[in-house]
Amino acid sequence: MSKREGMVYVTTAEERIIHWLLAGSCLFALITGLGLMFHSWYIIPTMLGGYYATKWMHIFSGVVFALSLIAASAIWWKEVKFVPDDAKWIMQAGGYLWDTKDLPPCGMYNAGQKLFFWFVFVFGIIIVATGIIMWNPLPYPVVMARWAYMLHAMSVFVVASFFIVHLYLGTIGNPGTVQIMFHGWATRAYCTMHKGRWLAEKEGKTEAEAEA
Amino acid sequence: MAEYIKYIDLTKCTGCRACQVACKQWNDLPAETTQFTGSLQNPGDLTYNTWTLIRFDELGSGKDIKWIMRHDACMHCDWAACIKACPSPGALVKTETGAVIHQSEFCIGCKACIIACPFDIPRYSVKDDKIAKCTLCYDRITNGMKPACVTSCNTGCLDFGPKTAMIEKAHTRALATGGTVYPNNPNYETHVLYVLPADVKPLEISHMNPNPKMPATVLWWKHLFKPFTLIGVGGVAGLALLHYMLRGPHLVEEEKKEGGEADV
Repeated sequence: MSKREGMVYVTTAEERIIHWLLAGSCLFALITGLGLMFHSWYIIPTMLGGYYATKWMHIFSGVVFALSLIAASAIWWKEVKFVPDDAKWIMQAGGYLWDTKDLPPCGMYNAGQKLFFWFVFVFGIIIVATGIIMWNPLPYPVVMARWAYMLHAMSVFVVASFFIVHLYLGTIGNPGTVQIMFHGWATRAYCTMHKGRWLAEKEGKTEAEAEA
Repeated sequence: MAEYIKYIDLTKCTGCRACQVACKQWNDLPAETTQFTGSLQNPGDLTYNTWTLIRFDELGSGKDIKWIMRHDACMHCDWAACIKACPSPGALVKTETGAVIHQSEFCIGCKACIIACPFDIPRYSVKDDKIAKCTLCYDRITNGMKPACVTSCNTGCLDFGPKTAMIEKAHTRALATGGTVYPNNPNYETHVLYVLPADVKPLEISHMNPNPKMPATVLWWKHLFKPFTLIGVGGVAGLALLHYMLRGPHLVEEEKKEGGEADV
C-alpha cells in the first residue's frame, strides 16, 4: 500500500477479501436459492448446469458464507458495538431521508451499518444453522427439521431485503464508497463526512506515535 | 383419465405380505438383508427398496388381544406436501389418476419431501442420492391394470377402483363392521383409504398419523416467506430507486460546492 495524495486508507486487504467472500457467497447462495425455490425461475439452474449441480453450488456457497461470516464477525466485532451517538444518528435516519443539521460524527461505521451487521449476524447464524439441518435433515426430529425449512426462508427474506439497502447505499447512493471495498482508499473529505470520529482517532494516534 | 383410490380393509389383512413381494417384483426392487426382531414386521421400516410394508401391532393384553396388520405405503395426497416442498420440477408429480409419482432422473436428493410428508413415506438412498416411494403402480393403472399389491392380495383386504366407488365401498364396510374410515379429513384427501376395525383408533396403530394434514411450517415456508422474499427484495430495490430519484446521491460536502446552483 503506497500513499496516495489526499486519500485515506480505510480498509485493510484482509477486510476487503473477507467482505468480498461474504458478499459474493451471500449473493450466489441467494441466486441459487431463488432458483431452487421458484420453479418458474428454471433459467437459473439451467444456466448453472441443472438442479443437482445447483443444489451443491447452494450448499458450497453456504459453507463459504458461514466461514466468511465467522471471519467478518471477528474483524468487525470491535467496530460494530453501539455507542450513545448512534441513537441520534438513527433518530435522524442518518440524514438520508430528510435534511438534518447536527448528525454526530461516526466512527468506522455508522449506526445503520452496525444495524445491518447485526441483522446479517443474527439471521446469518439462523440461515447457516438451519442450512446445516437441511443439508441432512434425517437425523433430527421431524418437527425441528420442518421449522428449519421455514426459518431458513424467513431469515433469507430479512437478510436479502437489507442486502439491497446495503448495496444501494454502498454504491450509487454514496459516491466514493464502493472504492473502499475495491482498493481501500477514500478521499479525506469523504472520511471527514462519513467517518469523522474514526479519522480523528486515527490521526490523533498517528501524531502521538510520531511524537513518541 | 379418472381418479382412482386404493382401498385397504384392515379387518381382512392376514399379514401374508404377498403385497410386499408383488411390489418388489413389479417395481424390480432388490431384496434386502433383514433381521428378526421378534415381530412379524419385516423389514423393520420402509426403505429406498421397500415401498410397501405390512406393519404389525399387538394391542391389548391378556385374553383381549388384537393383532393389527397394516399395509403401509404412500397415501397419494390430493394436496401433497412432498410436491409443495420439492425444489426440482418433475421429481415429484401429481398425476391425473391421483397417484403421486417420483421421477428419479429429476430428483436431486435434497430430502425436503421426507421432512414435509405427513405420513413419513419417502425414503432416501445415500448411494443414489435420490428418494423413492410407492407410485400406486402408475405404469400399471394407466394401462388398465390394478397395482401389483392389489392384484396379489388374496383376502380382499386391498382393492382398487374409481374414486367414488372406493369411497362408497369404504364407508359401507365401515358401517357394516362398526369401524372407521381413515383418513377422514375433507380438507386433506388422499388416494388411499383405510377401513379400521371397530375399537381401534389411528393413534393406537404404529406409525399412523392420527391427524394427517399439510404441515403448517410448509405453508408458512412456501406461501408466506417465499413470496415475501420477492416482495422484500423488489420492494426495497424500488424504494432505493425512488430515493435516488427524489433525494439523489449523498454527496460529500466538497463535491456539492463545486456543482453550485443550477440555472432555472
